[in-house]
Amino acid sequence: MPITYDAVKRLSGQLYDWSLRRVPADTKLGLRRALETETHDGARQILRMMLGSANRAEQEERFVCSDAGVPVYHVTIGTAARLEGDIRQAISDGFDELVARIDPPLLKHVTNPLTNERGYKGKDMPLVSWDVAGGADWVEMLCQPKALGSGRWAALETFSFPSLGQIEDYVMKVVMQAGSQHCPPVIIGVGIGGSFDVAARIATKATMRPVGSVNAEPMLAAMEERLLRAVNATGFGPMGTGGDTTALAVHVDYAAGHGYTPVAVCFNCWINRRTRARLHPDGSVERME
Amino acid sequence: MRRMRMPMSPAEARSLHAGEMILLDGEIVITAGLPTHQRLLACAEEGRDPPMRIAGGSLLHLGSYSRDTAEGGLEVLYMNPTTSTRFNPMMPRLIRHYGLTAVGGKGGLDASCAQAMAEVGCVYLSFLGGGAPLHSSAIREVREVACHDLVAHYRLVRLAVEGLGPVTVGIDAHGNSLFDTLQARARERMPEILARLAADREQA
Repeated sequence: MPITYDAVKRLSGQLYDWSLRRVPADTKLGLRRALETETHDGARQILRMMLGSANRAEQEERFVCSDAGVPVYHVTIGTAARLEGDIRQAISDGFDELVARIDPPLLKHVTNPLTNERGYKGKDMPLVSWDVAGGADWVEMLCQPKALGSGRWAALETFSFPSLGQIEDYVMKVVMQAGSQHCPPVIIGVGIGGSFDVAARIATKATMRPVGSVNAEPMLAAMEERLLRAVNATGFGPMGTGGDTTALAVHVDYAAGHGYTPVAVCFNCWINRRTRARLHPDGSVERME
Repeated sequence: MRRMRMPMSPAEARSLHAGEMILLDGEIVITAGLPTHQRLLACAEEGRDPPMRIAGGSLLHLGSYSRDTAEGGLEVLYMNPTTSTRFNPMMPRLIRHYGLTAVGGKGGLDASCAQAMAEVGCVYLSFLGGGAPLHSSAIREVREVACHDLVAHYRLVRLAVEGLGPVTVGIDAHGNSLFDTLQARARERMPEILARLAADREQA
């Protein structure tokens, strides 16, 4: 059976809706672990409130945050999947349909960057990136709504033949710029190399990895561990009012490039909105996150 | 934990200290809109009445979804803080002109705002971001909504709340800012943090 326009449209709306009313299980576990190690009383209180807010949102089907962000999807199409209909349009129509039916309604966050006018629609919305998976017969959709609170602090700098030390010092420079602002504890994505756009994409994809997962490449795993220690030594803490827990995770990935090396750093706030599902050719929907 | 009756007096604001966590009861005014701040500023500059009475009260950077009810009343479906620092250029004038005793949101305000707060007797309250289920359940009544022509989260909304928080006093009325202190402390620690990173790299 082909994967249809209707199936993609329905799932686009559902993924967005689900993402607003829950915090991913791995992220809640990360918060609970932070509560065990956090030494500041105020910070512990804030971490408990975060877990309370996450649980209440899930149980009562309420939004965790009033800022629903803008619709961002990452779609992976299996090379053996059969498609029927315009699935790019299906994602756009799925979001429009969600806006019309969702309860409570969404605030208008889609912003024209030239006029700062806000609404539910805009050029190139929803923001969709595409990938392919060799041999797979499914389509995977990941929804990661993005808002100003953490989105504002992403940065990229291009170096020439940098040492690892230069790269890591730059990550810390961006962490200092964000300071207390990005609703910590955050998930930090670092993308190294490739080209300008590829580095940013790698950093964004790195934030999608579950909190607590260990990087398969030992060199990157060690880098993530020492960077996480360094970020948490800054002391900004939960909500930036002091504490040991400024980040729950630092995830690093890279691509080969030329001698010029872009380094991209981005942040997800503590609610780390992320839902993912696969559409299979038998018509089933496999909800993964 | 102290419970503060809103709006606070300048003396009550001065009794609070940075780092303290408190609960809020009473009446607050919220908005998350830059255009709203610009309107309030224009009223101050031109000596006109603001769209909603805020003098001696609070102006909190909380976004909300407000709408009319079928019964002719008002309701707020959810609310949550937004980043305050983007309002930095406007807040000192607003704090001084309207004699605000509480501002707030998330992420803090800068030193020039802290200076105005110290002069007036005003505190900055840091709310939990991603706390919409908790904050929204503290709303008891929607008393007034102004700036209806703006998108919902930009409107000025006057709310009665009970047990809102806990919120952290991020900047007190004595010039102490957790945000500035933590930024300065992190800057001081940075040479040591980077040296440790380098040592860890060597060992890896």
